[in-house]
Amino acid sequence: MLNPGDKAPDFTARDHTGKSVKLADFKGKTVVLWFYPKADTPG
Amino acid sequence: MILGASFDSPAENKKFAEKFHFNFPLLCDTDRSIGTAYGANADPGKGAQRVGVVIDTNGKIKEWHARVDARAWPTEVLKTL
Repeated sequence: MLNPGDKAPDFTARDHTGKSVKLADFKGKTVVLWFYPKADTPG
Repeated sequence: MILGASFDSPAENKKFAEKFHFNFPLLCDTDRSIGTAYGANADPGKGAQRVGVVIDTNGKIKEWHARVDARAWPTEVLKTL
């Protein structure tokens, strides 16, 4: 787990449209990142 | 900025995004590297845990939750920012 104040691990990944997304793209913005187990499963 | 993330393929996530009309990117963390870095890959045999993270404007962790409600949490947390 991560703790408040830790540096957020950088990442690069493809999004669902095939576009490359990296954390550094959002520098200066607050980012809300949420994980889900499997596309289209109820929470 | 909201980002969703799962270990699914782009095709699977594209269907998911279209069904629910999401207007934010769904990351396809197929090698589980992001999930592992963010503590959402406790069981490699299963999908990602429902971890929720808020990253501040300086690239630091502001909040980390082991389990969030996938439907409500992203919009709830946006209201607090």
